[in-house]
Amino acid sequence: MKKDLSIYVHIPFCEQKCNYCAFASFCAKEGQIDEYVSLLCEEIARRKTDRPVRTIYIGGGTPSILTEEQIEKIVSTLFDNFDVYEDAEFTIEANPNSITEEKLKCWKKLRVNRMSVGVQSLSDKSLKKIGRLHTKKEALEKIKLTRRYFDNVSADLIVGLENETGKDLCKYASQLVDLGVKHISCYLLEVYENTKIFQMIKNGEYKPLSDDDTIDGFGKLANYLVDKGFARYEISNFALPGYESQHNLNYWSRGDYLGFGLGAHSFEKDKRYYNLANFADYKAGKSNFEILSKKEQIEEMIMLGLRCRLGVDIAVLKSIGYDIAKNQYFIDYLKQGILTLQDDLLKLNPVFYHISNTIISNLMP
Amino acid sequence: MKDLSKIRNFCIIAHIDHGKSTLADRLIELTGTVSKRDMQDQILDSMELEREKGITIKLAPTRLVYEYQGEEYTLNLIDTPGHVDFSYEVSRSLAACEGALLLVDASQGVEAQTLANTYLALDSNLEIVPVINKIDLPSARVDDVKKEIEDVIGLDTENCPCISAKDGLNIEDVLRSIVTRIPAPVGDEKKPLKCLIFDSHYDNFKGAICLVRVFDGSVKAGDKILMMQTGKVFDVTEVGIFVPHTKETEQLSAGDVGYIAASIKTISDVKVGDTITSFENPIKEPLAGYKQVQPVVFCGIFPVDGAKYGELKDGLEKLKLNDASLQFTPENSSALGYGFRCGFLGLLHLEIITERLEREFNLDIITTAPSVSYHVYKTNGDMLEISNPSNLPNPVEIDRIEEPIVKVNVFTPPEYVGSIMELCQNKRGIYKDLQYLDKNRVELIYILPLGEIIYDFFDSLKSRTKGYASFDYEMAGFQESDLVKVDLMLNGERCDALALIVHKDNAYNRGRGLAEKLKKIIPRQMFEVPIQACIGNKIIARETISALRKDVLAKCYGGDVTRKRKLLEKQKEGKKRMRKIGSVEIPSEAFMTILKLDEDK
Repeated sequence: MKKDLSIYVHIPFCEQKCNYCAFASFCAKEGQIDEYVSLLCEEIARRKTDRPVRTIYIGGGTPSILTEEQIEKIVSTLFDNFDVYEDAEFTIEANPNSITEEKLKCWKKLRVNRMSVGVQSLSDKSLKKIGRLHTKKEALEKIKLTRRYFDNVSADLIVGLENETGKDLCKYASQLVDLGVKHISCYLLEVYENTKIFQMIKNGEYKPLSDDDTIDGFGKLANYLVDKGFARYEISNFALPGYESQHNLNYWSRGDYLGFGLGAHSFEKDKRYYNLANFADYKAGKSNFEILSKKEQIEEMIMLGLRCRLGVDIAVLKSIGYDIAKNQYFIDYLKQGILTLQDDLLKLNPVFYHISNTIISNLMP
Repeated sequence: MKDLSKIRNFCIIAHIDHGKSTLADRLIELTGTVSKRDMQDQILDSMELEREKGITIKLAPTRLVYEYQGEEYTLNLIDTPGHVDFSYEVSRSLAACEGALLLVDASQGVEAQTLANTYLALDSNLEIVPVINKIDLPSARVDDVKKEIEDVIGLDTENCPCISAKDGLNIEDVLRSIVTRIPAPVGDEKKPLKCLIFDSHYDNFKGAICLVRVFDGSVKAGDKILMMQTGKVFDVTEVGIFVPHTKETEQLSAGDVGYIAASIKTISDVKVGDTITSFENPIKEPLAGYKQVQPVVFCGIFPVDGAKYGELKDGLEKLKLNDASLQFTPENSSALGYGFRCGFLGLLHLEIITERLEREFNLDIITTAPSVSYHVYKTNGDMLEISNPSNLPNPVEIDRIEEPIVKVNVFTPPEYVGSIMELCQNKRGIYKDLQYLDKNRVELIYILPLGEIIYDFFDSLKSRTKGYASFDYEMAGFQESDLVKVDLMLNGERCDALALIVHKDNAYNRGRGLAEKLKKIIPRQMFEVPIQACIGNKIIARETISALRKDVLAKCYGGDVTRKRKLLEKQKEGKKRMRKIGSVEIPSEAFMTILKLDEDK
């Protein structure tokens, strides 16, 4: 039997780059999107395989700015070249301001069954400061509209924005939950040097929350969501039962995936490869790859397994050459309740998710 | 037979920054010793470190050939370091010369170190030729400086060369003065061999190389030589001179400066200051050795990676070969493992050695806070010399502690006198004297505990006087003081490598300062960590490092895996630079913080 695959498609275009964004995204020039869509479809056709596809994820950038014709062309190329399961999870990322009823209908028709909406905050002041184009009102209206067409709707929130306390975050979450959102991703604000917000902070124009306040706020939000029946199945992700993102779970369990588009990453067996992240290089078909050593594979298993509810199987680690039970940190962490071990399945106590770098790096071979 | 009257052996003494290396460059250039094409600035400063710091530490001899009134003269230049820590190196150079150029900056005038080195040269009966440098500067005050040299040092400046080494102005005057004023060496080529090892270094192919000044006799390849102090005998494989790179010659004879290689494999067989003579026909009395120097500043040096202890030992031994003043003995710390307690001539010396260990031997090292050597008298009458605070006996066994004191000379423009006096008072200094050298310069004399000098005195002096003051010190014995040991506890565990000995009146401030500083330097851990400073069992300061809250890769999707894995690998790699005290991980830099407490205040 052929092994399942996941597919990621990257749409690098945005109407405006958010101030915190360090991702492969930019504003499109006239005609550039059409050109890109053609290149993308060529790539998809070129890399066709007969392995069945379990999940599809169209992310960005802002996939929702594509016209109906553009998205149809991409999706039909995908279905023409790949064997997609009937019940495959199919997600599109969207920003509230570019969601329209026509597009929702179009996506629905194209077999999309999960929407991920970039809400980020429900404070107009915050949204403006971080460079988002929508308002609180628009975000809520568009979520409501999206819910009319889709059951499985996820929303993103950022934790650590200026002046946004745990109380604010819980209020946002309750508004989203009330609209029937089934999945919430809560990301800590990460400030990268090549972003606008980095400069704003440097110039004193923006003041993100302190680490302590950020984590306190996250804690309140997490407790609220858990009260509402959500499970924290990964460091930053909360879902009602059955609404976990299958696509993302595949990343963390080191399943194979193909990434199409500029800067998109792929992973097969022990090989990670990716298209280069600027337009000219992508057009020229340039890519890079690395073959993971045993040690690197083990490191990935620990790093990815411990960040989610899946955990990591220490018998598997041992079978490929790493006896983690001999690591002094492993012994100490078990004793301190930082790690739990049941039937060879090693898990990180969620209380320690936000200091997991130290723990994970200490556990690596 | 060689004509000794055509040889001049000389060195240059100067305060740091007065342009010694630049003058040496000009002399080399003018005499055509090194072609213009090969010229790089400060060619005698062979160590990368020296060029970077703009100071000269190591001697680098070179032979210049100069024609004067139709006669060819061989001028052997032996460069000397200018910094306060290295007066020992200066004395080594002086013993190989008949004369010295005293280089004085035309705008800065006579400095503390100029004076100290001049006295060393006078003690060695050298002919001293004053040279005034940097006359091109707008701030040059040639006549004032001449007067200073006459008044303060007592040298005649009537015909002294006034030059600009930078612009190459009047350099001929200097060469002429060397020939006409510095005496030719005296010696007898026919007598048995007598030469002084004034430096040495290690060559991977030739073994230990002796840098020598031949006083009597001659030496060539194939000769059997005797090291008079160690009693070791070697067969000479090569002799030569410095031009300034090594150049093999047929022989070295009386009056010459050069090198001897003799396949010497054991570094400790070569002792700088030792006399080399002929094995078959030895002289009876060796040359007078150097003024023996004692290290006054001590610290622990440990490899970051405990497995590199052997490499650290090897590195220290190789450095000791041309730096006899460096001392080290094995030490074991519960916090840092196996390493060495090292003795240095001063803080700069300490800094140079640690940097050389890191650069030349590629070692990652941890340095503990510097300390001086205390005389600890026990109630049972024993006297211990303690240079490692963690070895201080239990207070009930101590009758009294004496600390080393120094006489400090500070040269400064008058406007800074008040500020310097305040600094010396704060450092427990005792005022001795104040003299106006002229209207622009004052000499201040204080007696200060050495322990206060090594604790940021130099930096404070510099910042209080905008760098205008210079200082020098000499040991002035020991004095009884009310000293206590301050211990640092991390999460309830004493850390031997962070202990320090301080005066009782300063203990509270230093303990609190150290705890505050450690709080800043030690990263947050997975649990709360109390930092306590204490004297005996009495806690005098407490800080708390709150538990780590945020250390996470919030997002990790398909494209992030490799980058994030590498981040974690790097984090794990960083752990190797940490030391564990009980369950607390502290960065290696923390151990040096005691030294730099005042910087932030």
